[in-house]
Amino acid sequence: MDTVTLTRRDLLTGSGALFVSLYCAGRLSAGSGRSASTEPAMLASWLEIRSDNTALIRTGRTETGTGMSGYYPQVIAEELRMRPEAISLLMGDTDKTPDGGYSAGFLYGMSNVRKVAAYAYQALLKLAARRLGVDTSALEVVDGVVSGGGRRITYGQLLAGQELDLKIPVRGQPARADPKAWAGIGSLEGFTVLGDPPMKPMREFNIIGTSYPVPGIPDKVTGKTQWSCDVQLPGMLHARLVRPATLGSTLISVGGLDKTLFPTASIVTRGNLVAVVSPDEWEAVIAAQSVAAATRWTEWSGLPASEQLSRALREHDWGPPAHTRGSKAAVLTSLASAAKTVSGSYEQPYVRHAPIGPFVAVADVRGDASVTVWTHSAHSQGLRARLAGMLNVPIEKVVVRWLEHAGQFGRTTLGGDGAEADAVILSQLTGKPVRVQWTLQEDLAWSSVSPGWVSNAAAALDADGQLTAVRNSFYSPHMDDVRPLGALLAGMPSFTPAPGGGVASEWPYDRVGLRWEEAYTMPNLGAGAVSGGLRGNIMRTPGQRQQNFVLESLLNEAAAVARADPIQFRIQHSSQRRLIDILNATAVAARWDSRPSPHPGAHKQGAQTVSGRGVCVVVRQNAYWAGIAVVEVVPQTGAVRVTRFTIGVDCGKIINPRQLQRCMQSGVVMGLSEALKEEVTFDTGKVTSTDWSRYRILTMAEVPEIEVVRISRDDCGFGGGSEAANAVVPGAVAAAFFDATGVWPRRIPLTPDYVTALLRAA
Amino acid sequence: MADDLRLTVNGIDRPVSVKPETPLIFVLRNQLKLSGPRLGCGMAQCGACAVLIDGAEARACITPVSFAVGKRVTTIEGLPAVWAAQKGLGPSAAATTLHPVQQAWIDEQVPQCGYCQSGMMIAAVQLLSRNPDPSIAQIKDAFTNTAPSPHLCRCGTYLAIIDAVRRAAKAMRE
Repeated sequence: MDTVTLTRRDLLTGSGALFVSLYCAGRLSAGSGRSASTEPAMLASWLEIRSDNTALIRTGRTETGTGMSGYYPQVIAEELRMRPEAISLLMGDTDKTPDGGYSAGFLYGMSNVRKVAAYAYQALLKLAARRLGVDTSALEVVDGVVSGGGRRITYGQLLAGQELDLKIPVRGQPARADPKAWAGIGSLEGFTVLGDPPMKPMREFNIIGTSYPVPGIPDKVTGKTQWSCDVQLPGMLHARLVRPATLGSTLISVGGLDKTLFPTASIVTRGNLVAVVSPDEWEAVIAAQSVAAATRWTEWSGLPASEQLSRALREHDWGPPAHTRGSKAAVLTSLASAAKTVSGSYEQPYVRHAPIGPFVAVADVRGDASVTVWTHSAHSQGLRARLAGMLNVPIEKVVVRWLEHAGQFGRTTLGGDGAEADAVILSQLTGKPVRVQWTLQEDLAWSSVSPGWVSNAAAALDADGQLTAVRNSFYSPHMDDVRPLGALLAGMPSFTPAPGGGVASEWPYDRVGLRWEEAYTMPNLGAGAVSGGLRGNIMRTPGQRQQNFVLESLLNEAAAVARADPIQFRIQHSSQRRLIDILNATAVAARWDSRPSPHPGAHKQGAQTVSGRGVCVVVRQNAYWAGIAVVEVVPQTGAVRVTRFTIGVDCGKIINPRQLQRCMQSGVVMGLSEALKEEVTFDTGKVTSTDWSRYRILTMAEVPEIEVVRISRDDCGFGGGSEAANAVVPGAVAAAFFDATGVWPRRIPLTPDYVTALLRAA
Repeated sequence: MADDLRLTVNGIDRPVSVKPETPLIFVLRNQLKLSGPRLGCGMAQCGACAVLIDGAEARACITPVSFAVGKRVTTIEGLPAVWAAQKGLGPSAAATTLHPVQQAWIDEQVPQCGYCQSGMMIAAVQLLSRNPDPSIAQIKDAFTNTAPSPHLCRCGTYLAIIDAVRRAAKAMRE
């Protein structure tokens, strides 16, 4: 049985503290041969409660722009009965944080730190009970002050003059390179806290559920934040990369460097990784442009051009589905005996994370093979493991330091795909610290992408217009190639991405049979290229974002065939109370006009604006989302404008209402961007959508009025409130487009070209 | 090759030795250690690098440093002083008072990742200097249609920015 132990340290090094550390049951104590000194993650304490009545929480997980750096103090403060302002947070540095794990998994990380705090609270209560001479049940704690038996003592006073270690049981290990593991990394989730310490009941929460401000915001607003792009080291060189002519080109010869023009610049190459470095960043920029113009590469044309993408995906031999859910026989029987069927084939081109700040990293590789990397990766331990694997050194040799930078929406969740490998390789080659700054063009052409896909769906309706079965077959190149570009181009060790994935969608219509088939058996487009081709990666609400567009569009099409109101149609087919409640609440806020689609005044031709409304839901991570779009379409020009969007969520207990509102609004913006504008284009050799005029994202003028509906519950735990807002948008916009025009768009984005062609053909 | 130039950044005289064609962003960041303006697209398409030059928004990624000589360059680090001068605040009040745009950005919890927000605040200061009470439509227009490009935010904080601009406008009018 795992135990929690509280011990006194022999040497007092400060004024007193309680350190909460990890104890890996059966590993350290059983003499597994791995001493603490070779296991840096075991050294850092997870939580420190100090004699000045403050606390420090250390987590390897990081802020990704959704406010997590505020939620962690809220959660810890709640369990410890402290003020969140008294709790500071250290994130992401592998040499200072113990737990690891990918940053997107906030709920998982939070359940860990809540338990850590709960264990610490129990230990503090015992200390206080002894000091005050009363039973723990007679104690009350408010803002770090313990009262009982008519006396009061602060946590700080309890700890003054002693240092205590509280060891709590965990399972897991630090992430490590494992070429055979999915995504090339073992233990992506990091540590899990074991046991069940008493937790504060949700109904007694008074910090969770308040709009505690995100602590880092004032520094971001005043210019005090140190971002990953701000790291400057003595002797540091700035690097700019000279990228191959196409995704598959290899180096023939490097262009010359005119030393009279660029006296402090030099060329560094390894394999197909070509860089220009200089102590002066601007010199690196222009010298790299000059070298690039004269560098020769082989020709390569291993991609289908983006206009041919859907055809290439449809013609691919996908083989049997890799993942399935539900009974094929039952659903085929329902489809065969249906009074009516609805079917369609849906598709989306490649889209990408497209951070506003292109990737940047600084690496300092020393002669003794020790490596320090400054990064904004969302998985520090995963990145450490990947870099150690690339260099073939023990992970203990690599330290990853995390700093904030531009939001990247899942691109580095699996510890890969940034500028870090470039920086490490160039630092190793030059013997100096190197800062690698990708350009926007590089970022939009060479980073990993969210693959295009096609999906074939069918629904069966009985004579009463009831949906009886749904079948969907989803086909996508795989989404787990997070190999660092630098390792690929330099020919250094990495891993072989295995086609994989899973059924991401949750199916809330429990009264309808579902057969789901999914194949991710296609490698990257251009997989044979030295760069790996278009490296497929996960992106915000991965898999489910795409699949939900298909399923919810099919639901809307079926509702139209049944001449049913699309919201009532959904409610008829589900018994999930939370789904029904959020649909109804969102419909009220949107002033939903209950009727079947299309609108009686729908038009698919002409210069006159037509308007419509549509709905979409998604269920993800214990959260129920509903989105209602109102759109205006000008059939003649193909212009689609979303004028109003109402988004509702029930994500269980709301941690921070204002941040949730902000994340919902901004998630809708990202979803609208995807629904209306985003498309990666490429010719047969390279990506061509390489600046903001060609990879278009939503601008402020295109943002509609967005209304937010939130339901908080004390009886359903915590759910994911930051991520999935984007996933309700495309389905709602597509349904609203149909309501306005009477024509189903089975593809996003709804660009003017696509819309005019669609309406003309209808 | 390098010239000795004198810049006035956030009210302070700053000598720099630099090639005159170097984009201002690299001088501000690497030599003057100002981390407010940030490199985004590098071609005046996103606004992350925006600064004020003599009170007008400029994209530091394409502006040669020589263009800024003899002019007043303001980054977000210098906005509190701009406000203090505008309001005639004494030294102690000036030291503790943020520009109303910055305060509104905090009060409205605008930044998510925050990478673009320095440029957004610069655009807001510029807008409010010519229109002290902009409507939502005017804010959207200013952040989208002012040359050389829209100010882009990938996190999608546009509505929070609109809320903050209106809050700041109200505070500045009072």
